[in-house]
Amino acid sequence: MKEFFQPRGVAVVGASREPGKLGHEILRNIIDAGFEGGIYPINPKADEVLGLKCYPSVTQIPGEVDLAIIVVPAKFVNRVIEECGQKGIKAAVIISGGFREVGPDGEKLEQELVKTAKKSNVRVIGPNCQGINSMPARLCASWPLVKLSGPISVVSQSGTVFAALGCWAEDEGIGTSKQVALGNKCDVDETELLEYFADDDQTKVVALYIEGVRDGRRFLEAAGKVAQNKPVVVLKGGRTEKGAEAAQSHTRTLAGLDQVFDTAFKQAGLIRAYSVEELYDYCKALAMLPLPRGPRTVIITSSGGCGILATDTCEESGLEVVDLSSATVDRLKEKLPPQCIFKNPLDLTGSATTQMYDDALEILLGEEGVDSVLAIVGDPMPGIAEVVEKHLKKGKPVIAVMLGGGRAEEEEKRKLAEKRIPVFSDPVRGAKALAAMYRYAKRKNLNQQ
Amino acid sequence: MDKSTIVEILEKAKTEGRKILTEPEAKQVLQACEIPVNKTQLATNLDEAIRLAREINYPVVLKIVSPDITHKSDCGGVRVGIGSETELRRAYQEILDNIRAYNPKAQILGVAVQEHLSPAAEVIVGGLQDKSFGPTVMFGFGGIWVEVLKDISFRLAPLNSGEALEMIREIKGYPLLSGYRGRPQTDIEAIADTIVKVGNLVAEFPQIKELDINPLFVFEKGKGVKAVDARIGLGESNE
Repeated sequence: MKEFFQPRGVAVVGASREPGKLGHEILRNIIDAGFEGGIYPINPKADEVLGLKCYPSVTQIPGEVDLAIIVVPAKFVNRVIEECGQKGIKAAVIISGGFREVGPDGEKLEQELVKTAKKSNVRVIGPNCQGINSMPARLCASWPLVKLSGPISVVSQSGTVFAALGCWAEDEGIGTSKQVALGNKCDVDETELLEYFADDDQTKVVALYIEGVRDGRRFLEAAGKVAQNKPVVVLKGGRTEKGAEAAQSHTRTLAGLDQVFDTAFKQAGLIRAYSVEELYDYCKALAMLPLPRGPRTVIITSSGGCGILATDTCEESGLEVVDLSSATVDRLKEKLPPQCIFKNPLDLTGSATTQMYDDALEILLGEEGVDSVLAIVGDPMPGIAEVVEKHLKKGKPVIAVMLGGGRAEEEEKRKLAEKRIPVFSDPVRGAKALAAMYRYAKRKNLNQQ
Repeated sequence: MDKSTIVEILEKAKTEGRKILTEPEAKQVLQACEIPVNKTQLATNLDEAIRLAREINYPVVLKIVSPDITHKSDCGGVRVGIGSETELRRAYQEILDNIRAYNPKAQILGVAVQEHLSPAAEVIVGGLQDKSFGPTVMFGFGGIWVEVLKDISFRLAPLNSGEALEMIREIKGYPLLSGYRGRPQTDIEAIADTIVKVGNLVAEFPQIKELDINPLFVFEKGKGVKAVDARIGLGESNE
């Protein structure tokens, strides 16, 4: 696996001079992300691509190469893998489609490819995939271009889910560590990657998008092992085909309802997401925020409606929107104007100011009976980014939610991204992410007891 | 677990080319796992049925035994609360008539005579070989709860009794088993014990592709459970 994520040099087989072609775009992304090892375009018909010297075959490369990114048509891939073996390249990512996914002819090509790879001692990711990224190595061998290194590693059976997580994490200043689009997974699969991420210190959280697993038990064992030390968030697409075989029992009919997967994930300690957004939100919260010690949360809001939405979601997902003690209310009343509603949610009303958030956070986070605070900012609130940053340093999670704040809000979100502090744009999303953190924390505590 | 008895029953069905065990066979498998079942005996003629009913004690239940009939009560193949020999003679004939009308080609192995149990809470305990995860167990509230509301929980097998108890507590209908509003508290430990045994069974025998105990009668705390109907479907172990 090391050759995929920390290669000494990278060859792009099928590098193209034509912008818009994958062989061009991927090579450009590798260059633009700042990969520091050797970059070798392979194209027998070109001398130079994007300012780099071109070679007719990987065997002609003068320097050390560990990884080949392959973009040539399916029928040439087998030969390329053979040459990789000759050159001593140990890892190949096959972007090219035209294999198992297109029917029996493609399947035959894929079987040949698997045989050749084994014989040539080359490990394969793909074929028919969107590539890989390894941000600590400044390697972006996929599209679109991402550069920001961070704590989230991604394994995805979908190219678009893979790309969306990378893009969102970059936009919000969080970043990714290793990202793999699995494609047809003819060789390397999710289980093996999980085994690798278990021991990878740069990976703090694993995001997983899968549609099915090859060996369920082995997968669970690997995922469960990772989950003991770091959160694994899983989004599963495609439910078991119900009734594909004549069922004689209720048990078999009902097992088609995705419940076995759900149970298996729970037994292994994985956190389940139900949309791409949730997958990202949970990873971002788990990677960037301290874990809550318990379920008790207080919601601070400038918007009554958003406070109610957050309350509903918290209560539905296992958090406790606790009553404020009279001592807490007294302390809040000393600092905050009387028009505030001194309950949970603590409603600062439309006349909320940044100072009021600062005071409320100061008091609430100091309470023994409060494990986390959801701070919903529903109006322009200049300087709120600094307030959130200051209070996060105390070690309890502050989940910032901002919406309806126009230009001023954009500025605060930009500052938060720079500070690598997560912010959510919907109280429901923020509350769900907090609930996912609590679920993870609870399980972790149970395991440590 | 009495493995040799189970192997014998499974082998017999396999040799006869059957993909499903009869109810008496399925109950023998459960008994071999030490899961309590209601007394069930196969009668191949009326006289035998009368003799078995005397042994078991009235009231009894009669159920058709045919490899071609899976939903026995849907086609008039079940009679419950039979209190006397006169009633039994009539019920026996009615069942045979119903089945012949329903499916003249159905192979009839006989009629099962079973002890009639007083009403109890009904749950379902199941087992299957999941395509991705292999041996798996299911628990749910019986009757319409399982069919309409799908109030069920799953675990990968084998599992321990703690995990089985967790499964039982997970379903929405759980308060109905644990003494909701003055209802008697039922024998939840005995359900957990049954789930664990079913888990061991499907983990040990991959050729048991699917299994339902439906219903499993659950009595008051301390009084145990009894499998009242059971269905076991077979397949190749690698299917």
